[in-house]
Amino acid sequence: MQPSRREDLRLIAGHGRYSSDWNLPNQLHASVLRSTHAAARIARIDTAPALAAPGVKAVLTHLDVERAGYKSIVGGVATKDKNGELMKKPFYPILATDRVCHVGQAVAFVVAETPEQAQDAVDLIEVEYEESPAIVTFADARAPGAPAVHADIPGNLSFVHEHGDEAKTAAAFAGAKFVTKVRVDSQRLICNPMEPRACLASFDAATGRYLLHAASQGLIAPRVHLQQITGVPATDIDLIVEDVGGSFGIRSSPYPEYMLSMLASKTLGVPVKWTGSRTDTFLSDYHGRALSLTGEVALDDKGNILAFRWEDEIDLGAYAGPFGAFIGTQNVSIMCGGVYRVPSVFVRSCLAYTNTTPVSSYRGAGRPDIAYAIERLIDQAAQEHGFDNLELRRRNFITPAEMPHTTAAGQTYDCGDFPAVLEHALKTVDWSGFPARRTQSEKRGKLRGIGLASYIEAAAAGAQPKDQTAARVAADGTITIYCMAGGSGQGHETTFVSVFAGVLDVAPDAIQYRASDPAFAMIGNGTGGSRTAAGQGSSFTLLAQALLAKARPHAAKALGVAEVSYAKGVFSGGGKSITLKDLARQVAPADAGTHPFDSEAEGSYGATYPNGCHIAEIEIDPDTGVTDLLRYVAVDDLGNILQPMIVEGQVHGGVAQGWGQMFGEHAVYDRESGQFLTASFMDYPMPRAGWLPNSGHFDRVPHPVPTKKNLLGAKGVGESGCSGSLPALMNAMMHAVRPAGVKELQMPVTPAVLWRALRDARAKAA
Amino acid sequence: MNKIEFTINGKKVATQVEGRTLLVNLIRDELKLTGTHVGCDTSQCGCCTIHLDGKSVKSCAMLAAQADGANIVTIEGMADGDKLHPVQQAFTECHGLQCGFCTPGMIMTAASILKDHPQPTEEQIVKGLEGNLCRCTGYINIIKSVHRAAELMKA
Amino acid sequence: MYAFEYQRAGSVAEAASLLAKNPEAKLLAGGQTFIPTLKARLAQPSHVVDIGRLKELAGIEVKGNVVSIGAMTRHAEVAASADVKKAIPALADLAIEIGDQQVRNRGTLGGSVANNDPAADYPSAVLALGATIVTNQREIASGDFFQGMFSTALQDGEIIVRIVFPMPKRAAYSKFHHPASGYAMAGVFVADTANGVRVAVTGAGSSGVFLWKAAEAALTKTFAAASLDGIAVDEGECIADLHAGADYRAHLVGVMAKRAIKKITG
Repeated sequence: MQPSRREDLRLIAGHGRYSSDWNLPNQLHASVLRSTHAAARIARIDTAPALAAPGVKAVLTHLDVERAGYKSIVGGVATKDKNGELMKKPFYPILATDRVCHVGQAVAFVVAETPEQAQDAVDLIEVEYEESPAIVTFADARAPGAPAVHADIPGNLSFVHEHGDEAKTAAAFAGAKFVTKVRVDSQRLICNPMEPRACLASFDAATGRYLLHAASQGLIAPRVHLQQITGVPATDIDLIVEDVGGSFGIRSSPYPEYMLSMLASKTLGVPVKWTGSRTDTFLSDYHGRALSLTGEVALDDKGNILAFRWEDEIDLGAYAGPFGAFIGTQNVSIMCGGVYRVPSVFVRSCLAYTNTTPVSSYRGAGRPDIAYAIERLIDQAAQEHGFDNLELRRRNFITPAEMPHTTAAGQTYDCGDFPAVLEHALKTVDWSGFPARRTQSEKRGKLRGIGLASYIEAAAAGAQPKDQTAARVAADGTITIYCMAGGSGQGHETTFVSVFAGVLDVAPDAIQYRASDPAFAMIGNGTGGSRTAAGQGSSFTLLAQALLAKARPHAAKALGVAEVSYAKGVFSGGGKSITLKDLARQVAPADAGTHPFDSEAEGSYGATYPNGCHIAEIEIDPDTGVTDLLRYVAVDDLGNILQPMIVEGQVHGGVAQGWGQMFGEHAVYDRESGQFLTASFMDYPMPRAGWLPNSGHFDRVPHPVPTKKNLLGAKGVGESGCSGSLPALMNAMMHAVRPAGVKELQMPVTPAVLWRALRDARAKAA
Repeated sequence: MNKIEFTINGKKVATQVEGRTLLVNLIRDELKLTGTHVGCDTSQCGCCTIHLDGKSVKSCAMLAAQADGANIVTIEGMADGDKLHPVQQAFTECHGLQCGFCTPGMIMTAASILKDHPQPTEEQIVKGLEGNLCRCTGYINIIKSVHRAAELMKA
Repeated sequence: MYAFEYQRAGSVAEAASLLAKNPEAKLLAGGQTFIPTLKARLAQPSHVVDIGRLKELAGIEVKGNVVSIGAMTRHAEVAASADVKKAIPALADLAIEIGDQQVRNRGTLGGSVANNDPAADYPSAVLALGATIVTNQREIASGDFFQGMFSTALQDGEIIVRIVFPMPKRAAYSKFHHPASGYAMAGVFVADTANGVRVAVTGAGSSGVFLWKAAEAALTKTFAAASLDGIAVDEGECIADLHAGADYRAHLVGVMAKRAIKKITG
């Protein structure tokens, strides 16, 4: 049978190859000793008892890391604040030096013959900690007299980022008829891909090269980071990745265990494998979100938006993780006007350190957070000042006639039809029929609400200057295409091959995709920022054109004519024809050398602006506080859709993660001790089957307005589900509970939280 | 060490295991059947689900020694040669997988649901999947896949 | 996991003697709680004595007005048993709410009751139905058996053989699942028995499963959900943690009790 996606056959048969599925002869196994304290000085580490344990080959501490010359883990931003200062950034050690700054920080790395021996030996390492007070929230970190996470960073303040026009915005607020202010917390989350991290490193002394298997979203950034940290040239690191069990943003850069496995392999002369557990995921994968946004909107008497103003609190965790500061500066600020015509904006983001696991990208990386804040603010403003929440949006939408539109935040939206998308969604959900549905719920003793969000996000331009692609043609005429973007469920093999085969106008059977080949030393973006299909996909379009251009003269020669035409995989001329594949076979070199059709291509593709209107309809059981999501409508402008099934899956997944953040997920630290309280699936509620509406009550409707910013007309999809769902769900929630007297809620709105809010509102009213 | 014998995907295996060896580790590390995955430490995620004497169990919550004498089927044993099991076919047809890491466990669990309920209701599917976590799909297409598998098996 | 020696007992007597020989030995039943505990290195037994497949500990039998269930009977067997569904349908309803499909295929009645997790389901049925816990040494009344969180009347070396449930006139179980773990955040088993109405609560009490006496008195007067209006369990006796306060759990107990009663009264 034909699978829906090219990657499916191996995955459904149990033949996928994930990080921990790799093994090498003579490999040793590693286990990590992690800090049990949030803040402490390490007075002494004694590894001797562990070294003496059965099967143990090495115990690495920071001394070994320093001896090897390894440097700080890479992270942070290079932008300067208004005083011209760079962000304050502590050294981020691979293994803790003289102190630990969060629970779960890696302290030592044991290598033994078996995983059990390594784990047994971890328990034998003696560490003397001298505990000091810990702070685990932004507010506590910034409070006067707060303990310093890093002695040389006063007030735990890493950076203050400002964006927009402060004076103009202040003037707009001064002249406003109405002002509304809303604070939204986007709580700390655990990304929790289903595959825990693992790696296998092998050093080849003869060549000086490293082989590394580790989950990764791309092939450039991890190797560049590894080079910056270890000094090993990126070109000497063969990062081989096949299947990745989810990434969601946190697997785009290397983790300490990868460098430690490399170091141990070099030291011991054999491969070293580390297989992380779910506990390792909770404690040491970068965390997500962990920010609060306070927004104000200024309106004139008719409801025209005059300005937005934002004060953002960004919890970086204990160190500057790979993308934490990027989220807190760029990503929450550049889209802070949303889909609206806003003459003036100003954002001030404060980034602070806390004694918690460092934060990095998680599905959307600040974009869902700002979309959530804007749409909460608009609904709240409508509520407070007596505007209809639809009319307020319609009045302020940037219209298609105004495109391209450069926002006050400095982004140029190239296209989009926000008013039409809204109307499309309202019609799909039967918005006007809601009051009758609410009456039905009330009869059953339930609270019902409906909420919408008109979101927009910037799908990334990419950190690399361009996306290179390559095609290698085999002697049998089959083609393998390459780029640097690794998949982790997005279906790259299906989408890229389909784009490439589409240009060639051939069946995709004889074409396969591989995420990179280190030998090529190409550059290009990893998977991330919802840009891969549009960016790399466009480069694959060019690649197919390049290959055809190379093949054409060979076809002319083979057919004995001056000019050939090409259609459906066949060159024709002079009444004769030959297929591309047969031609490729004919001209293949006898010695398996370079095939004349081998091709390369590259392109640079900027940000796209996926947008849409999501509507959620919920029902609450006031007896238990349980919320049922009855209906969900996602009308999205994702530009041209390349693979409808895959796009649908991405929207489902994004909305599910939004559901998780809205109703349950929360990484909680104890405020006193700094202990991590939700470090397993027993305490961290993951969305489960049946918690989203089934396909009959979940409408995903495309409303494409193709972009001209790439060759495919596609906009990003991967993160749009989070950006649309957070505000739609919370607006529905507020709509349901406002009549009961509840004025404010923050995520996660668990049953316990909601029940208490309703009870307190009742008590206040009585 | 404990001597154990069992059948896995139709093949007889005799081996020796430490008391503390988990069944999933035996399957993955010694028998090299890496389609059975480990996604958590608390037996919540279901990635390690296999069939033991015809019933779905979490192989991370069993000692290998407990499997002595058992008949085990893992994801690698579901297809009949090149012919996919209807549940496998349904998962690809309905796009019931993205990253694929939870998929072997989902397929094994789904097959058990269909054994108990050949024509399952939505509620029976949801109930049957309560021990399996997925981070990619929102489960919508997984539930659809189970319905579709029921159709395929009926046909 | 720490290293230990695995021993499979051929009989209850052998299991008892293995336990007697090694003071640090532990019994392994279905292992659905115990093995994750071992994996987390929260227990370090010298020996693990597997009684999971002992025939003498398995099976469901209806005799007169009691249902006798072997300690190693799996939750899935109880849930699917036509005999249980006929004799005490509430017990089958409870069993299907435990864990998940895979856990129910391994986890056992005896293991659950012996562990006495404060959020486990079975203890509520044992207590509400006034069951008798039969061990290899004696018979223990349910009222004497549960002695607070993870604590029971079982002595060292004592093994649960079967649990004998008297059939109630009518009974029902209602559970509010913990959103992460799936355990009971509040589970209430209401039984109208030959010895009166009994209401057992699990998941909420800070000392484990308990009988809600005030509810029993009210229901004895009038067996209807409305009888519980104005009655509440003491918040001070309820678990408070990061998932839910004691007030919420106390409230949920009332809601679940009413729902259980409504299942009975329709």
